[in-house]
Amino acid sequence: MKYTTFNQQSTNPLVEPMFFGNPVNVARYDQQKHQIFEKLIEKQISFFWRPEEVDVSKDRVDFQKLSEPEKHIFISNLKYQTLLDSVQGRSPNIAFLPIVSLPELETWVETWSFFETIHSRSYTHILRNLFADPSAVFEDIVLNEEIKRRATDISKYYDDLIFATQVWQTQGEGVHLVDGQTVTINQRELKKKLFLCMNSVNALEAIRFYVSFACTFAFAERELMEGNSKIIRLIARDEALHLSSTQHILNLWAKGKDDPEMASIAEECHDEARAIFMNAVEQEKQWATYLFQHGSMIGLNKDILCQYVEFIANHRMAAIGLDTPFEVKSNPLPWMNNYLNSDNVQVAPQESEISSYLVGQIDSEVSGDDFGDFDL
Amino acid sequence: MTSEISTSDVLPMKMDDLFIIHLDDQTRLACLKDKTLLESLEAHQVEVHFQCREGFCGACRTKLIEGQVDYLTDPLAFIDDDEILPCCCVAKSDLKLKLGG
Repeated sequence: MKYTTFNQQSTNPLVEPMFFGNPVNVARYDQQKHQIFEKLIEKQISFFWRPEEVDVSKDRVDFQKLSEPEKHIFISNLKYQTLLDSVQGRSPNIAFLPIVSLPELETWVETWSFFETIHSRSYTHILRNLFADPSAVFEDIVLNEEIKRRATDISKYYDDLIFATQVWQTQGEGVHLVDGQTVTINQRELKKKLFLCMNSVNALEAIRFYVSFACTFAFAERELMEGNSKIIRLIARDEALHLSSTQHILNLWAKGKDDPEMASIAEECHDEARAIFMNAVEQEKQWATYLFQHGSMIGLNKDILCQYVEFIANHRMAAIGLDTPFEVKSNPLPWMNNYLNSDNVQVAPQESEISSYLVGQIDSEVSGDDFGDFDL
Repeated sequence: MTSEISTSDVLPMKMDDLFIIHLDDQTRLACLKDKTLLESLEAHQVEVHFQCREGFCGACRTKLIEGQVDYLTDPLAFIDDDEILPCCCVAKSDLKLKLGG
């Protein structure tokens, strides 16, 4: 089906499936099929922040004091996070927007991706402060074998879905010859690709950021690189919200609360979806090994970090109806919670409460005294 | 009943201010009505996984077997029909919970 930017046929978005129904026409949010996405949009917008608001200038001095293995850990993590957010800043838009059918979900995807671009901008902010010329760090992201291997796995499912959608939207269902390769396009195959892609994104948001987060917060526990840690806290808060959205989508499908065909696909592809998650867990453990190859940092080593990955993997797998394959029962890094707790993310009161500070905010309370000097 | 409530610091209060949380056959805890369920559990040194404490990360997801809760903020994290987010709710009755599920 050809994509149209404004579908002129009358549709009822309250009965459309999340994906592969009619293209969205009117961007209306007064009614929602799945209210949760509207709530997530509002929450995400309330989290708005800019990297420049965080002073990272003290980090430069701290960075010089780090040992070589610690510098390797710090910079490698920034590279990996830059990769993750480079992918996430564009891919949900390109992969999901052409096939989305609900206005609230369409806007959630756009809001989500936009915040990933803020994250990308913050890595530049951090690196520009540490190095006069951060080019070498950025350039290594497409050369570094450890990062490349992860990039392949992260982008593979997106690329598959995007390609199949493009063929479907230009040539329709059937068997097509594209660049000498035979491609079979039908509705069920497309939906399968979407399902696997969503699982891969879910694993990314659930697991892939947390090794880097743990290292960042371990530095902050020693009062090092605190500007960076403040930024990563804001990023972690956003990522928790993004994870919530993919968990909702997967559960809506699996529980038959959206497209019934997606429920049967969820069942059919259960093992493949689980393998995607387990593979992400394995890769994160390998990443921990790579980080600590030259030596550990105070407060953190490879083993405890791997246990933490297993611990959160258990929780996140349970959230999408998978088993909990790992032994870890209690949190091996309890101090992480102090950094992931949104109460501890500093918000200036004038930005959140006092109406007179807020641009465009109207105080709707009117008392009788307000008319005291008013004559007719 | 009172003797089975494990905190001594809540005893001076009237029973009206408390609900009882049942964790298993042996464990009963007093739960203050003006504290979130997570805060009540923490006051009894019960380990509950948490992150955001605001209802959007889902880390504290817990099975509610019996009883009712009221949400202070809308839970945004995914929870099943039989699950609650202790970080952003208060007890409305005595509760039976299954932790670590």
